[in-house]
Amino acid sequence: MSEPTTLSAPASAPARERNSAGKLDRRPAPTTRKQPSALLSKTAVTAILALAALYTLLPMLWLIMSSTKSRQDLFATNGFAPGHGFALFSNLSHLFTTDNGIYLRWIINTVLYAGLGALLATVFSVAAGYAFDKLAFPAKEKIFALVLIGVMVPATAMAIPLYLIAAKVGLVNTYWGVFIPGLVFPFGVYLARVFSAAYVPDEVLEAARLDGAGEFKAFLRIAFPMLGPAFVTIFLFQFTQIWNSFFLPLVMLSDQKLYPVNLGLYDWYSSALSQGHPEDYLLAVVGSLVSVAPLIILFLMLQRYWKAGMTAGAVK
Amino acid sequence: MFRRRLTALACSISALGLLVAGCGSSSSGGSPAAQKQTGQVTFWSFVKGSDQVAAAFNQTHPGIKVTFQTVPSGQEYYSKLENAVKAGTAPDVAVVEFPQLPEFATQGMLENLDSTLGPVVQSDFPDSVRQLVDLGGHTWGVPRDVAPLMLYYRNDFFAAHKIAVPKTWDEYQTMTQQVKAADPMARGGVLFTDNPGLLTALAWQAGAQWFGTKGDAWQVSLDDAASTKVADYWGDLAQHDLVSSLTTLDPFWTSVQQNRTVAYVCASWCAGSQQATVPDQTGKWSVAPVPTWDGKPASAMYGGSSFVIPKGAKDSAAAAEFIKWITTDPAGMKAWVASGTSSMFPADPQLVPVTKAAFQTGYFGGQDIYAVGSSSYDAVVPGWTWGPVMGTTNTAIVDQISNVAGGGVQLSAIFADAQQATVKDIEHRGMKVAP
Repeated sequence: MSEPTTLSAPASAPARERNSAGKLDRRPAPTTRKQPSALLSKTAVTAILALAALYTLLPMLWLIMSSTKSRQDLFATNGFAPGHGFALFSNLSHLFTTDNGIYLRWIINTVLYAGLGALLATVFSVAAGYAFDKLAFPAKEKIFALVLIGVMVPATAMAIPLYLIAAKVGLVNTYWGVFIPGLVFPFGVYLARVFSAAYVPDEVLEAARLDGAGEFKAFLRIAFPMLGPAFVTIFLFQFTQIWNSFFLPLVMLSDQKLYPVNLGLYDWYSSALSQGHPEDYLLAVVGSLVSVAPLIILFLMLQRYWKAGMTAGAVK
Repeated sequence: MFRRRLTALACSISALGLLVAGCGSSSSGGSPAAQKQTGQVTFWSFVKGSDQVAAAFNQTHPGIKVTFQTVPSGQEYYSKLENAVKAGTAPDVAVVEFPQLPEFATQGMLENLDSTLGPVVQSDFPDSVRQLVDLGGHTWGVPRDVAPLMLYYRNDFFAAHKIAVPKTWDEYQTMTQQVKAADPMARGGVLFTDNPGLLTALAWQAGAQWFGTKGDAWQVSLDDAASTKVADYWGDLAQHDLVSSLTTLDPFWTSVQQNRTVAYVCASWCAGSQQATVPDQTGKWSVAPVPTWDGKPASAMYGGSSFVIPKGAKDSAAAAEFIKWITTDPAGMKAWVASGTSSMFPADPQLVPVTKAAFQTGYFGGQDIYAVGSSSYDAVVPGWTWGPVMGTTNTAIVDQISNVAGGGVQLSAIFADAQQATVKDIEHRGMKVAP
């Protein structure tokens, strides 16, 4: 609903106005200027972006190429070139049948940990961020400072304390041991507060209250829909975070049936070559490719919201 | 309750000294483990065949139920085990490789096995490996497999270019020159850049003693004369591009598959990895005794594992029974190698016929690689001890090793740095270091 153009910040407008000689509506593109310095900087930027793209895409290319190779070709041919045969489908069928299809189970586990966990974490974050922004309650800023401290502490540093607590309450090696920590997302609360300040005008809430809506109803019916982009942004952040979290599941889980996919792949990968079962190495390669797919699909699906959310947050 | 807490306190205080003195297993009291016939055992391992060995044990021991859980290998596993012991959720039996054993023992994370498996360890194993699990006068683990060094080489390449199999390190250097001259792409050795295990073994073989104990203090000498000799030798080979610098994972196996590595020093277990990973070079590989400095047999170990009972295990008696079966019983050893593809070398010399019978030697042209392994095992230089902070020691070496070939750093300087890092960490953990 909020196009980035309508949000153009007034502070930066005068500066641009002076530079482009009064033509406010026509944005000066660097190419039209024909100045060597501009051309140079454009080349430099393009080169840096190209390098960054290579840096991201080359491993992906290796992964795609390697996934289509037989075990022989995997070591016999160049990693970035196709192999002699096309073994993707036999690799895939091997992947989904190994150990009675444990890989599919890992994928489902990960979707539960990351999908359901991030969904709930986002609901909590948005509600809390909204409360911090719009509601008045005692010691509000002090509590918010606590949330910010939570943002500063890296998730990896929390893994061991969480594990010790889980051991005390008997959650070690259970689904809940990994799921529950994923529900807490301090950075999401912080983001939600910023978004709430940007997207939900106080006047609208006042109007809702005047019309007789209670606080909960005002949040649920008025504010929550306005926070849609915030919801998607926070969800994607937390989803990727849980999807990628490694150390917590590593210490928390011992039963392979509860593993998220990255831990399962690591299991295969870490002992494949040293313990002399290279077929697991190929499984880890193909499994990595398949495990990337859901993330790509999710990002493509939610890209529209995600982009809107990012730009809106940036300009405010 | 109070007494137990006092004992625990006393134990953790003595852990600050050198080695923990008999904390833990005393509580079990009563009948020795061997007679225990019922129980539940949780079993953590990353070793190939662990699932089969657990299943075979369950079949033959109806009273004891072993639950096997796969764990990843490497440093991640050891932090997982360490945290499990701290949290009281440790398994009853866990695999610990020899280098990591002192670290777990000194931190008081293992049950003392003196009264249960100690006698077995004393009677069944040669000194060179017994010394790796007996620390401070107590037994902390039972060896399963050892990893004596061997030389692997491409017999077709050596025959075609009339290269002799080296018996000394001087001849080995000549061999690497001949290999490079015969095929500019091929190399006769590897300096592994992600794992210091082989380099450590080569120092051990040369007579180095990186760690020792004197009274209640650790002695650390990564920079002794033997280590410096080995470091200079391998650093020189790498800098002259006579051996390639590769990681132990796919870069190494790719080089083997693409005929760029035609000889390398590795342990006994590499035979199984070699035939599984590069199956189409069947018949082209042979093994030979590892070269030595003076031509007389000398060897060391690159790898090997033991099984321990972590502190906090719920059923130590059943755990001891299980460990005894999987390390010293012929039926247990047979279960490890049931797949026929593992070239694991048993730590108990009496069990060599069991693994030898299971290993299919077709890949090595029918060569009796276990005979080479046996003589290498006999020649392992005794007296080696692993240090109490091998994670730190290894990281200090690995962090710089990839710069050796380019001449950025001397290998002996890396050992000197690792020496300092090790001493610092031992002191940091409250243990003493002998001057």
